[in-house]
Amino acid sequence: MALFAPPPMYADPTMAADKQHAFNPYSENGGSILAIAGADFTVIAGDTRQSEGYSIQTRYARKVWQLTDRCVIATNGFAADGNNFVKRIKQRLEWYEHAHQKQMSIKAIARLTQTMLYGNRFFPYFAYVILGGIDEDGTGAVYSFDPIGSYEREACRAAGAAQSLIQPFLDNQIYFRNQTPAPGAEPFVPGRLPLSTVLGLVIDSFTSATEREIAVGDGLELYVVMKKGRTTDDLVGSDNLIKNMQVQELGALGEGGSERTFLVSLPLKRD
Amino acid sequence: MGDCSFGITGKDFVILASDMNAGRGIIKMKSDENKIRALGPHLAMAYGGETGDTEQFTDYVERNMRLYHIRNHNALLPPAASAWIRRQLAQSLRSRKPYAVNLLLGGFDTTTSLPHLYWIDYLGTKADIPYAAHGFGMYVALSTMDKWWFEGMPKEKGVELLRKCINEVQSRIVVQFNFNCILIDADGVHQLDLSASDPIADLSRAPEKAEVEVPNPIIAAPA
Amino acid sequence: MDTLVRQLSRPAVPVHGEDDEAYGNAAEWGSMGGYGNLSRTGAISGMTVPRVLDPISFLATHTDNLSTNPEAKIKLAHGTTCLAFKFRGGIIVAVDSRASAGSYIASGTVKKVIEINPYLLGTMAGGAADCQYWETYLGIRCRLYELRNKERISVAAASKILTNLVYQYKGMGLSMGTMIAGWDKTGPALFYVDSDGQRIKGNLFSVGSGSTFAYGVLDQGYSYDLSDEEAQDLGRRSIIAAGHRDGYSGNTCNLYHVRENGWEFIGNYDVSQEWYKYNEKEKKALEHAGKAGVQGGSPMAVEA
Repeated sequence: MALFAPPPMYADPTMAADKQHAFNPYSENGGSILAIAGADFTVIAGDTRQSEGYSIQTRYARKVWQLTDRCVIATNGFAADGNNFVKRIKQRLEWYEHAHQKQMSIKAIARLTQTMLYGNRFFPYFAYVILGGIDEDGTGAVYSFDPIGSYEREACRAAGAAQSLIQPFLDNQIYFRNQTPAPGAEPFVPGRLPLSTVLGLVIDSFTSATEREIAVGDGLELYVVMKKGRTTDDLVGSDNLIKNMQVQELGALGEGGSERTFLVSLPLKRD
Repeated sequence: MGDCSFGITGKDFVILASDMNAGRGIIKMKSDENKIRALGPHLAMAYGGETGDTEQFTDYVERNMRLYHIRNHNALLPPAASAWIRRQLAQSLRSRKPYAVNLLLGGFDTTTSLPHLYWIDYLGTKADIPYAAHGFGMYVALSTMDKWWFEGMPKEKGVELLRKCINEVQSRIVVQFNFNCILIDADGVHQLDLSASDPIADLSRAPEKAEVEVPNPIIAAPA
Repeated sequence: MDTLVRQLSRPAVPVHGEDDEAYGNAAEWGSMGGYGNLSRTGAISGMTVPRVLDPISFLATHTDNLSTNPEAKIKLAHGTTCLAFKFRGGIIVAVDSRASAGSYIASGTVKKVIEINPYLLGTMAGGAADCQYWETYLGIRCRLYELRNKERISVAAASKILTNLVYQYKGMGLSMGTMIAGWDKTGPALFYVDSDGQRIKGNLFSVGSGSTFAYGVLDQGYSYDLSDEEAQDLGRRSIIAAGHRDGYSGNTCNLYHVRENGWEFIGNYDVSQEWYKYNEKEKKALEHAGKAGVQGGSPMAVEA
């Protein structure tokens, strides 16, 4: 078989020499994103630095966007692809709303994201996508994707430049990986952490990542999606506010959905 | 996977044998995969080459042979079938993605009562020859056949020669092979059990046991 | 009749070079619209391909598509051990749950068994997205077959749909090695299908980077006459062995059993914990045998 199989084109040394001049439509813009699901809320966060190599292009570029009343999307990787993907998915969601008189569920958005990413299987979007929100039963949901659309529902996920710094920390704190309860203490149950604890973990993740990863910093945007009827005291209560932290409620996008989305902004170190 | 197949003609028959390995890289996933396909009442081929292409191409050939049979109430004779198959490979070679399939086509011409054997490769090379091999068999067993084949061989001698060839690849090639074998004569395509001491005697004793599923049921000619 | 011949000839690859990622026909939106790149008839309507001379080397340059280009920026989830075998009590399907992108463990909780329908299972090895997407698509095609023919599709036919599908994309960089296991009119059936277009029927397969290690345990412990418990244990033990030896496999093992009335999920097992459990058990068994040996007793002797 190998006796007559022609070598692949890219194995040809003359082609390899041309590689430097080859069409390269991709870049990598740093930054990190993160999402954690709770029992009746989800937190989706991303820093706002956009860089290329060692230079910072902007200190404020969004990586996280609100899609519906109960779904938020975050992208990381190549900013142009990420922005374009969000634009396209927003268009598809608008068409859906016109056709069905309702907003798409997060489960359906996840499947749509898969088919849209896979549609570019042979010319991939260089974008790592995370969806966060509230599912049909009112529980927090996080879906994470690879650039060509394989996906999985999880309790937490970090992606981007600092994924290898943040994810092990989350595994330990959210999934209680490698922790043993003290003798006589209650066993660990993942997915039951209160919002204040989760917020603390997210903020600590990003401040720490900023210290050790050059591509992370400048600012933190943190979206909190809450189940309908849930108390908001643990977020907007005055004693919860950290210095320089701003909280803003984003208005409803659709009709009838009583889920509430808050945007929490916080400065990160800028050096 | 290294393929290996043989074809031998005799007085009134043609034998085809093929290895039965299937796998990926260094791993053998199967050692009883049938790589010989009956194409008509008196026609069959042993195939090898690029995985995937082999199955798709033989499916395509088989269905087209069947279509011809349905339309014309007569199956293509071996010389015509070999020309058509060769042409498909030659045209494919000049397409964006050629089929990389090598085959041995064996058939019995019921109009002249002569056996036929064609050696065809993925480049569209065709040779009409009395005995042939593809794959590893070409390296070690062609000389065996040069030495022991003779004009007008009886079936028993054909099987004997095939056994010599198989023994040669099994002793000289690093890869281990199991072989699957068919015989085509005036009565059609039959399975040969090489593990039997005298498969030809078994065949004449109980031909129904050696029946091979032929895709083209014989259609009665219009009155 | 010529049209028939044309239909029999090899179909063109259904890939469009133009920007048909944009939704060409603006009237086709909402419920009348397609679904991602699926048209409303369920067919694949368009895959974006870069307009370069050689799209394959483009993909090979920018992605670690076939695990051959670790420097590539676009990392895709990879690496696996999957196995399945037929035996007296049906089919056992066992897989690990690790996905790696380069040397980073992207996930330890991947579902590598894809539940196509209550009677069909597919496994995932190679590109995670390729397997997930096309086996989901296979589920759609199997359901359409059921609706049109008022009976369930055979495993042979379902696996053939998948092979023909991936064969259309042969050489373009799809990477999948999958097993389709199920129960149909003919009883239990197991097929191996890969992105080369290979499709083979068999009784025992293992696929993925850890498959050699799984074969090592599976082949030596296999018999058609295994009991249900023995067979499930063999499947699990083989995945644990692969998880222990292959860096790209591990985390947990998912175990399924296919019987006449469909598949059943048996359980999820932590590879590290099971390894020590098995080790302990096997050590005890050895000690027991040794003791029996010293005393000159039969290896079948029961400890007092």
